[in-house]
Amino acid sequence: MTPYFKILIIAVLIAVIGILSIYSSTYQKEGEFWQLVYKRQLLWFILGLAFFFLASKINYRGLWDITYFLYGTCLFLLLLVFVLGIVRLGAQRWLRFFWFSVQPSEIAKLATVIFLARYFSTKSLQDLSLNVNRLGITRSLFLPLFFVAIPMVLVLEQPDLGSAAMLLFIFLAMLFLAGVRKRYIFLILSAIVLCLPLLWHLMRDYQKDRLLVFLNPNLDPLGAGYTIIQSKIAIGSGGLFGKGWLSGTQSSLRFLPESHTDFIFATFAEEWGIAGCLALLFLYYSLIKEGILIARRCADNFGRLLALGISSSLALQVFVNISMNMGLAPVVGLPLPLMSYGGSSMFLTFISLGILANISKTRAIF
Amino acid sequence: MRIKILNWTVILVFLFIFSGLLNMQLMQGKRFSELSSQNCIRLVPQEGSRGRVLDRWGSVIVDNGLSYNVMVSPAENGQVDKALQAASRILDGNFKSLKENFGKKGAVSFMPVTIARNVDIKKAIALEELKPELDNIMIQPYPLRSYPYARLACHVLGYLGEIDLWRLTKLANYGYKTRDIVGFGGIEEKYDYFLRQETGGLSVKVDHRGRSAGILGFRPPSNGKDIELTLDLRIQKIAEAALGGRKGSVIIMDPNNGQILAMANFPNFDPSIFVNKSFDSIARLFLDAHAPFINRAISGLYPAGSVFKPVVACAALETGKMNSSKTYVCAGKMRIGNRDFRCWDTHNKQDLTAAIADSCDVFFYRTGLLLGGQAIYDYAVKFGFSRPTSVDLPYESGGQVPSPLSRKITKFKNWFDGDTANLSIGQGELLVTPLQVLRMTAAFANKGFLVNPYVVKSIDGQELSGQKRKTALNLKDSTINYIRQGMRKAVSDPRGTANMLSGLKVACAGKTGTAEVSRRASHGWFTGFFPYQEPKYAICVFLENGGSGHAATAVAKAIIEEMDKQRIIQ
Repeated sequence: MTPYFKILIIAVLIAVIGILSIYSSTYQKEGEFWQLVYKRQLLWFILGLAFFFLASKINYRGLWDITYFLYGTCLFLLLLVFVLGIVRLGAQRWLRFFWFSVQPSEIAKLATVIFLARYFSTKSLQDLSLNVNRLGITRSLFLPLFFVAIPMVLVLEQPDLGSAAMLLFIFLAMLFLAGVRKRYIFLILSAIVLCLPLLWHLMRDYQKDRLLVFLNPNLDPLGAGYTIIQSKIAIGSGGLFGKGWLSGTQSSLRFLPESHTDFIFATFAEEWGIAGCLALLFLYYSLIKEGILIARRCADNFGRLLALGISSSLALQVFVNISMNMGLAPVVGLPLPLMSYGGSSMFLTFISLGILANISKTRAIF
Repeated sequence: MRIKILNWTVILVFLFIFSGLLNMQLMQGKRFSELSSQNCIRLVPQEGSRGRVLDRWGSVIVDNGLSYNVMVSPAENGQVDKALQAASRILDGNFKSLKENFGKKGAVSFMPVTIARNVDIKKAIALEELKPELDNIMIQPYPLRSYPYARLACHVLGYLGEIDLWRLTKLANYGYKTRDIVGFGGIEEKYDYFLRQETGGLSVKVDHRGRSAGILGFRPPSNGKDIELTLDLRIQKIAEAALGGRKGSVIIMDPNNGQILAMANFPNFDPSIFVNKSFDSIARLFLDAHAPFINRAISGLYPAGSVFKPVVACAALETGKMNSSKTYVCAGKMRIGNRDFRCWDTHNKQDLTAAIADSCDVFFYRTGLLLGGQAIYDYAVKFGFSRPTSVDLPYESGGQVPSPLSRKITKFKNWFDGDTANLSIGQGELLVTPLQVLRMTAAFANKGFLVNPYVVKSIDGQELSGQKRKTALNLKDSTINYIRQGMRKAVSDPRGTANMLSGLKVACAGKTGTAEVSRRASHGWFTGFFPYQEPKYAICVFLENGGSGHAATAVAKAIIEEMDKQRIIQ
């Protein structure tokens, strides 16, 4: 089976599981809005598939040419959020296009990956290998940091701590994968650690609360700690084979907030148990593994970095989201790719996977 | 190279997540499942009613009435205040105290909170009518103990209260829980296991706001079993009326089978104060120096006085130390050791029956000395003294009978003739309960059998009396007849101590007693049986510090007269 089909099948499987879980978590809730949720997700899924096919048809080398345009557009959209954005759950993260609302921070993740992939894939004149390891600290660390910091600060101001942290993680992963000297990576890592106390003062009150209840959920069991306690109960009560589809009590009886978006994993784990979780984790792992394999087979530096960036950003999002569901990471607004309800995340993930598929197809031709 | 590191990192991360899931879902899965069902399953309890208590003819002594509890389920804040305000208007209570009641219990849980108990039916209906506007008000019917005869037989019945720590630790294995209502004293305690109801209810699935999302199941509450007593309400009423506010107790029993027909005590209490939770009167009763909660008939220990004499007489006749023709001269006193032991009168020459009838002390001093302390002790034990009668009521006392042997063993002291003399007339260290005296009397009435007294005849129609046994004492017929004659003579003989009963239509026999107490008035005793030929009733009257056996006999007379008047005695 070609990587193209592998990616497609795995992505479709995960998305279908997601839709089933969304249906299960919303079918008992009253109101037209809740009854439409899973249908909309189905629509996003179908549109996402279309985006996947489209992205896999367009040669990824084209992205090289439009990198700066993409980066600029992304910054423009992020700025536009502050002017026209709609406020939901206390944050201004969405832009409304007719009937569809976009989350530019999702676009920023992919744009950052593409931007960094292009930035680091400059070739030396003598040979075709990357010359990143010969670059000085300014060109290999400060300059890319500056370019990533702009969207990051904008996202942080929305406020969207989760996406901002994700941009930072993507940046660090790309530094590592692009072959930047290890001492620079250590430098930036220690700088970040030193900045953490400073960050504490910049955080909003609710973000501080979330961090505190992450350390001890029983600090405020009915307030900030409620979500994490309910999520842990949902996952834990799943047991070996779970309560069965549509039989989960935590999500369908509304004990678990955000059970169809950020906490979709808890909903899934409650109903399918550890058996289902093992299958789901295997699907995600296969998807990421496929991305890494594509990167290894790719002879083009840009393509390889792009594939690695996409795979690692996917892995990071899966890891952070599931850890957050299990109470192993603080609660930050971050969707589980392909499963959480939401158009932007679905589209961007399918586009990323389309690019991966295209890299895998075109490597031979290049 | 770095791609390999990425690959391994991804694998490690997934293993990390998976091990976390293993820990949560398998190792701690059970705990989380419990938490999950606690989240969404609520039990709306529904009380069954506790078993009723009936007398031997089936009239209800303890019943269950319906009371109504008002509950408010937590909702949005304004809604609760509105409901409480409406409730306070109808219940004429102030809003603040209701709010307090609500706040005390309902801070976190989504369960409905009881804000008022024992609401009468009119107010309950008025509150029910509010329901269309305020759907978080709930009226729950609740069975409540009611006592149609108020204080009647309260010591036999006992009362109800919230379980205490001591009972809880003892009964936890039998399904008792904190805040359970259990019996205290009397058959409410002894037969609590049969009387108690089982709470059933609806288990309801609720959502995060406590709104019902479907019913999971219903377990119907089961009622407790009804208990039928051996008590005869008519006789019980007569006995309590005759006691008439004097400290003491009256027991009437069927001497042939041990069924207790009446057991009256004073001071008594009204068990309904525990239902109404009138804490002031409860506290006053518990602090009362006259101990109204004590069932004197079975728990009180008193010196027996002359009612003990039939035992001594029986011992003397049975051991052959004495026969019916033997006489002693009573000169009003007798010298034993270096002390004068007095008789209450001067009786001159007397035989056994006359000595019982006149209750001559000197005769019994001599008889006792003839027997020795240990022989008296043996017969006292044979007649059931110094151990509980195993009546089916809690907190029965055993009493004590002194003996030379036990004194030697426990106190390292010697037994003197003076001790024997004291014991022969039921004084000294002898302590008995009225029920023990009555059982001894019944043995003479039924011609030689020690019965097991009991108050519960049947549980839910199931007879218990079949299991009750009486023990044959293996006494000679002549012995019993002599003593019966003596007791009869106490009534029929003009000089007899219980002569005031001779005017009654029914032929009685009995023995009076005046037990001396240091520094206080003497206890009055009367114990006897009637009709003399075929005894149907054995009676024991005890008046604590009541002066004399005469006063006790007067009570017995009033009772027998009234029983005759009401044609209870056939």
